[in-house]
Amino acid sequence: MTAVFPALLNPVLALLGLGLGIGALLGIVTRRFQLHSDPVVDRINEYLPQTQCGHCGYPGCKPYAIAIANGDAINKCPPGGEATIRKLANLLNVRELPLDASYGIEEKPKVARIREAECIGCALCIPACPVDAILGAPKYMHTVIESECTGCDLCVDPCPVDCIDMIELPHENIVHEQEEHLPCINCGLCIDECPVDILPHSLYFACADNNLELATSLKLEHCIECMKCDSVCPSAIPLVAYYQKAKSDLAIELEERIKAEHAKQRFELHQERQERLQAEEEMRREKRAQLAQEKKKELSSKNIQAALERARSRNNGPAS
Amino acid sequence: MTEIFLILVGAILVNNFVLTQFLGLCPYMGVSGKVETAVGMSAATLFVLTLASACSYLVFHYLLVPLNLEYLRTISFIVVIAAVVSATELIMQKTSPFLYRILGIFLPLITSNCAVLGVALLNINQSNSFTGSVFYGFGAAVGFSLVLVLFSAMREKLDACDIPEPFQGPAIAMITAGLMSLAFMGFTGMVQ
Repeated sequence: MTAVFPALLNPVLALLGLGLGIGALLGIVTRRFQLHSDPVVDRINEYLPQTQCGHCGYPGCKPYAIAIANGDAINKCPPGGEATIRKLANLLNVRELPLDASYGIEEKPKVARIREAECIGCALCIPACPVDAILGAPKYMHTVIESECTGCDLCVDPCPVDCIDMIELPHENIVHEQEEHLPCINCGLCIDECPVDILPHSLYFACADNNLELATSLKLEHCIECMKCDSVCPSAIPLVAYYQKAKSDLAIELEERIKAEHAKQRFELHQERQERLQAEEEMRREKRAQLAQEKKKELSSKNIQAALERARSRNNGPAS
Repeated sequence: MTEIFLILVGAILVNNFVLTQFLGLCPYMGVSGKVETAVGMSAATLFVLTLASACSYLVFHYLLVPLNLEYLRTISFIVVIAAVVSATELIMQKTSPFLYRILGIFLPLITSNCAVLGVALLNINQSNSFTGSVFYGFGAAVGFSLVLVLFSAMREKLDACDIPEPFQGPAIAMITAGLMSLAFMGFTGMVQ
């Protein structure tokens, strides 16, 4: 027994020491690399269109982003459509899926408008708006702040008199009709001609494929539209027209992104306010309940007191 | 210098861990669907393997040998490897969350990747020096990465091919892996 003990002590102590050392090290690493918010959720949320429409079955874009991060399908967002699904599939390294039609179909951007003559001022639409874009007070006419509206159509259902219309938003897109032309033969004449050293033929392929990211990386913005490449092209391709279309598409995308960011902030503020109101309401209710309880207790104790008094007087009565 | 070069060539090509010694087959079949995933897995394995072989060398020679506890090497190596993987996981979660997400379950699975334990144990068996062990681990990881990326590139090509129905999926992947292993047999005997 005594011989076994030291033989056992050494390995146990050694492994214990090893484990303790490693545990301390891991603890330090965990402390150093603590996560504050989930970066995956933030990145997914950036790609969602921020309409806060709730078509996906979640109350807004951020909740859907959290659900996606936890493994939900990426094809539940009708306003984002195919473009959003492609971006998410690339980001998350999953297969691209067609849009799930049970959550809605992809539509052009819309905006809500109230037929103001018919509005009865019920104010039911105001809490329904996820970005607080409806202005008005009870018993007065409401109106939609068009620049804030994300076109989610959540206000349409609560309206009792159906005075809210969803109107398609016109997009000013300078579309140049490209005439039929011969295919690019990669002759390279345009490269020598370009005064700002971009590769006109590569840029043409990127623009024709609608690959805006590639076009940006090929310095689309540097093109001064001098039309020199057009003039030398043996296939008579209207190159500059393609670049102009890509530039306007890029501008629209940028505008949409800015709008999405804005809507995201408004949604978060709306959510915050809603929560605060709920908490206040909860507190008031609690206070009222407490008050009622106290009153009840007081009353019952008073009753008991009175009953005791009566009993005592009755007891004392015959004795005296 | 020559010694290190020989260790590297031996570990990468001649005694390739996956195709000659058949260690680390789980990620080899599991993460080879896409090239990007394979590259991510390779990077993680490269990091873990190099670090783990250095750590296990230190633990063996400065903790187990002085205490005459060489027989505990497997247990202590597993502990060390698990700790290295956990630390890598924590750091990666912060620094590159998307690689973390793509690797998913395979990152913790590096712990049970027998190539990692294999390298640590083989280092002891071959009585390599400290630099020798580090380069042996590095070479093993490079060899692993090489065949993993090659294999995933082939599988991506195979996805686009018209494969007879009974061979689709894992079956054709197994056949491809077998052919790759045969090809790597050509290196046998180049370096001891």
